[in-house]
Amino acid sequence: MPMRAVGIIANPVSARDIRRIVSHAGNLPINDRANIVLRLLTGLAAADVADVVVMPENGGIRTQLMRTIERERRMGTVRLPDVTYLDMPVTSTFVDSAVAARRMDDMGVGAIVVLGGDGTNRVVASSCGQTPIAGVSTGTNNAFPEFREPTITGLAVGLAVSGRVPADIALALNKRLVVTVNGRHEIALVDAAVVAERYVGARAIWKTESFRDLFATFGEADGIGMSSLVGLTGPLDRTTPQGRRVRLAPAGAAPRTLAFPVAPGLIGRVGVLSVETMAPGVPCRPSVAAGSIALDGERELTFGESDDVSIHLETDAFRTVSVSGCMAFAARHGLMVHQTSSPCHEGEPR
Amino acid sequence: MNNPFPLSRDGLLTAYRRMRTIREFEERLHVEFAKGDIAGFVHLYAGEEAAGVGIMMHLEDHDRIASTHRGHGHCIAKGVDVRAMMAEIYGKATGSCAGKGGSMHIADLSKGMMGANGILGAGAPLICGAGLAAQKLGHDGVGITFFGDGASNQGTVLESMNLAAIWNLPVIFVVENNGYAESTSVDYAVATDSYVDRAAGFGMPGITVDGTDFFAVYEAAGEVIRRAREGGGPSLLECKMIRFYGHFEGDAQTYRAPGEIEENRAHRDCLKIFTAKILEAGVVETGELARIESEVVDLIDDALESAKAAPLPSAAELTTDVYVSY
Repeated sequence: MPMRAVGIIANPVSARDIRRIVSHAGNLPINDRANIVLRLLTGLAAADVADVVVMPENGGIRTQLMRTIERERRMGTVRLPDVTYLDMPVTSTFVDSAVAARRMDDMGVGAIVVLGGDGTNRVVASSCGQTPIAGVSTGTNNAFPEFREPTITGLAVGLAVSGRVPADIALALNKRLVVTVNGRHEIALVDAAVVAERYVGARAIWKTESFRDLFATFGEADGIGMSSLVGLTGPLDRTTPQGRRVRLAPAGAAPRTLAFPVAPGLIGRVGVLSVETMAPGVPCRPSVAAGSIALDGERELTFGESDDVSIHLETDAFRTVSVSGCMAFAARHGLMVHQTSSPCHEGEPR
Repeated sequence: MNNPFPLSRDGLLTAYRRMRTIREFEERLHVEFAKGDIAGFVHLYAGEEAAGVGIMMHLEDHDRIASTHRGHGHCIAKGVDVRAMMAEIYGKATGSCAGKGGSMHIADLSKGMMGANGILGAGAPLICGAGLAAQKLGHDGVGITFFGDGASNQGTVLESMNLAAIWNLPVIFVVENNGYAESTSVDYAVATDSYVDRAAGFGMPGITVDGTDFFAVYEAAGEVIRRAREGGGPSLLECKMIRFYGHFEGDAQTYRAPGEIEENRAHRDCLKIFTAKILEAGVVETGELARIESEVVDLIDDALESAKAAPLPSAAELTTDVYVSY
C-alpha cells in the first residue's frame, strides 16, 4: 500500500488576538512556527512519509520554511519529505484553515497536523471530514492540543498513516458540541460559552461578568481557559460519554465564586450557580434570551429573543491521532529499531 | 429593540457618518483627480474606513495622531474640517495648511492631527514626542501613528518602537496592512513578515484584527488605548484591510489578480459589513442611513465647489509658516 500524504495547517493568524493585550498571552514568532513545521517534517520523514501538503499563507512561515529546506537539502544532512503547497486563494484569515482542511480531506491525506490552539483546531475539525487530526499546541488557550515536541507528533502521525500502528491504537475518537442557531450548525471541540455581549467584536472572551453558561466536552483541573472552570468544579475526562454544563453569574451574584485561569496570565472570578451533566444528544437551551456564543474561546454566533438556539453533545464525533498510543506501540513492537549489519560483541547491550 | 453593540445608537450613527464621509470624499477625488486640476499625488483610503474610524472613535482632540501619505481617512476620522481638507488638496489659500501642504501634508493641530506625511515611517518618531509630552504634562492623552508594511522596514519605526518601550510611552503603533507595499512583495522585502513579531522584539504586545470589521477594530483599539491611558505603555495593532484603489491615483495595479477588486467590493467592503450589522440588529433604520448619505454627498459637493472657487495662496505667503520659533 503506498504511503499516504500528510497535511500540515499552520495559519499565521492564529494566536494573534486581543488576549495579548487583556492578558499576558504569549506571542509565538513566525520564525518559531516555521521551525516547528520543520521539526514535524523531520519526524514524518523518519516514519517514511514521502509527501506533505501544506496550507499556503502570506504571513512568512512558508518563506522561512522553504529557505531552511533548501539550505538543508544543499547540505544533505537532514532527510525531509517532499513539500508542496495547496493551490488556493489566501485570505489571511481563519477561513484559509477551513478551506485547506477541506482540500486535504478531498485529496485523501492520511492525517492533518494542525498548529494552533483550541480555536484553530476547531476550524480544521469543522472541515476535514473523517480525516484524523493531530494538534500541535501553539495557540493562546491549548486545552485541546497536547503540549508535546512536534518531532514526536511527526513521528507518531507518520506511523499512524503508514498503518504500522493499527488504527484502533493509532486513532482516538473524540466528543464535540454542536451549537445550532436557527438551523445553522457550528461545533466546539472543548467548550461553548454563552456570554451576555451580543456582538462578535474582537472575538476572544475574557470579561467574566458577562459569562452566563458554559458547555464543555471535558475539563481538566490543570487546564487553561474556559474548560478549566469545569476542571475546578466537576472534572471530566476526554473519553467519558457525557459533557458538563455550568450555569454562571457575575462574581458575588451566586452562592459560590470561582477563581479560574481565563487565559494565560489572567485569573478571573465568576459566580457558579450549578454544575450539571450533559447527556449525549439531548439539546440544552442557553440561560439567557439574547447574547453570543463563544466556541472554544472565541465569539462566533449572536442570538436574540426570537432565535432558536440549542447545544448538544456528540460522542465519537471525529478522530485524532493518539501520539502517546502510537509511540507506546512503536516501543513495544520495536518499530523504530533497525537491525545493524554487524553483530554486537558479547557483553555489549543488544 | 435593545442595542447589542458597544456604542450607543448615536455613536453608531456617528461612526457611519465618518466612514461614509471618507468613502464619498475619496470616490469623488478619484473622479476629480483624473481631470488634471489637482497638483501632486493623491493616495486614497477607500475600503479602509473601518480601521481609521474604529480607532479614532476612542480619541479626543488632545490625543495625537501621526498619519501617512494615505492620510485623508485619518483626517476625517479625527475630525478635521472636510472643506479645509479639500481646499488643501487643491492647493488653495483656504486649505488646512493654507494650500502649501497638499494631500500628503494635511494637518490640524487643534484636532490632534499632526499631519499626513510623505516620508515613509516619519510619523513614528513624531508620535513618540507626542506621547512623551502627554506623559510629562501628566494628562491621559495618547499618541497613535499609522504606517504600512513598506514603512515598517524603516529605521525610524524600529527606533521609535524601542524608544516607546524603554520610556513606556502612551503610544500605539498601527500597521495598516492592505497587502501591498506599493508594488513590492513583502516576501522579498520583509525578513519577518509578522509585525506582531517585531513588536515582541521590543517587549511590546501586539495583536492582529480584521480591519474590515469595524466592531473588531473598535473593541481591540479600545483595549490598547485604555492600556496606554492607564500607564500600560505602548502596543502594536495590526489591521488587515482592503484597498479599493491603487497605491496612488494612476497606478495601473498590474500586481493585482483579475477580479480581485470587484470581489473585495462585493464581499469585503467594511461599510457594507457595518451597515448590514446595524440594520440587522434593528438599531437604526435604512432611512436614517440614507439621510446621512445624502447629507454627506451635499457636504462633499460643497467642499469641492468651494475648493475650486477659492483663491490660490499669494507669492508673499511662500515663506510664512515654514519656520517656528520656540
